[in-house]
Amino acid sequence: MFEHVIIGQYLPGRSILHRMDARAKLASVFFLIAAIFLTNSWTGYAVLGGAAAVIYLSSGVPFRYIRKGMAPIFLLVLFTFFIHALFTREGDVLLSLGAFQFYEDGVIQGLFIALRLLLLVFLTSLLTLTTSPIELTDAMEQFLSPLNRFRFPAHDVAMMMSIAIRFIPTLMQETEKIIKAQTARGADFSKGSLKDRAQAFVALLVPLFVRSFKRAEDLAYAMEARGYNSGAERTKLRQLIWKTRDTAACVLIVVLVAALFLLRE
Amino acid sequence: MIVRSHLHGMILASFFAAMMMIGANITSMVPFLVIGGVPITLQTAVSVAAGLFLGKKYGALAIVIYVLIGLAGMPVFAQWSGGIGTIFSPTFGFILSYIATAYIVGRLTEHNRTFKRLAAAALLGTAVNYIIGTNWMYMAYMLWFAAPDAFSYWMAWAWMMVPLPKDIVLAFLAAWFSLRVYHAMYAKKRMPSTKGGIA
Repeated sequence: MFEHVIIGQYLPGRSILHRMDARAKLASVFFLIAAIFLTNSWTGYAVLGGAAAVIYLSSGVPFRYIRKGMAPIFLLVLFTFFIHALFTREGDVLLSLGAFQFYEDGVIQGLFIALRLLLLVFLTSLLTLTTSPIELTDAMEQFLSPLNRFRFPAHDVAMMMSIAIRFIPTLMQETEKIIKAQTARGADFSKGSLKDRAQAFVALLVPLFVRSFKRAEDLAYAMEARGYNSGAERTKLRQLIWKTRDTAACVLIVVLVAALFLLRE
Repeated sequence: MIVRSHLHGMILASFFAAMMMIGANITSMVPFLVIGGVPITLQTAVSVAAGLFLGKKYGALAIVIYVLIGLAGMPVFAQWSGGIGTIFSPTFGFILSYIATAYIVGRLTEHNRTFKRLAAAALLGTAVNYIIGTNWMYMAYMLWFAAPDAFSYWMAWAWMMVPLPKDIVLAFLAAWFSLRVYHAMYAKKRMPSTKGGIA
């Protein structure tokens, strides 16, 4: 459990997609999401599917990771398909099973929506599989920084995101430790009335909160002692570097989206 | 008020964002924490605590950070999910609505931290959860699932009535949990020792 939580969905690698600038990837995904919603023809979906396949091949991610990412959405896709297939009553009847009739338009509509969902999840999981949360945080910070003018603290938000990401594994280990310690002292989360279990839970929450508050306090003192000032200009340890291939990828995506727009029916 | 400075507030908000992740996934860490067959998430409890401990500003900020790290791909949402694709999940509205919950609780308990007040705030927070969550779900079905007209707004609500009793109980529990923790940490009077644990 821990291993996959600590790195998140991210799968380290050296593929082209891994080495692309996080900003380029984030912007591309946004364009592609827009394109997916614009598309309403089979040709359009075929082009999008082809593009998704090319992007996937350039990522070098084993398919089972994609499958794992898409598993939760799969039921939803099936459900949506059947809602459409059963409730849209237009066109010819393709198949009737007792009380249920599948109409042609309903099935086509259902397939469209199912494809749309699968593509959305496919492309967004490729982004998070090939980009570490920290890189994405930096990319988000840069995209949000124009909002600084409206007093939106993009840098502060990025700093807080990094701290949260940094302390998630720590907090998880701490929680496990407290669970074990309290179980050893006789706390039982599984038996007894709701009240007893809630009591046992307080014994988990109190130490967890106390420890977190202590850590937050220490970190705040340490940063203040080093003169941290949230408004100041500062340099970064990790630099995002925009290369020619990032520009090329973005241009390609924009061309693709324009083509898809023209393919609309 | 616990927040000592702006920086301290921001750091505490980050920690609460990380604790939201624990709250969302506590069932898989304590597999037996299932009451009546329903796995419990403690997101309401943590967001209520965020409002109570950090106040409206930093409390709401904590949940904003939680949502953002989830979107950035950390597996912090329920069932260890995460990633930008979560926006398209019909239940993303519930995740977003915890921002409002923390804000409401923070706003209502600024000067008055009795159980009554906190429970009322938690219930109001849960109501807002449902309003934002259900509307988001309806919007999701309409916009990206392009649901047929047979799926009405009231069907979405009828659907959401199923887990409502559980969440009302959880709202009271959330208020009770956070007040217990609050007293254990800050009250002058000593709380009676908790059963089976260090407090």
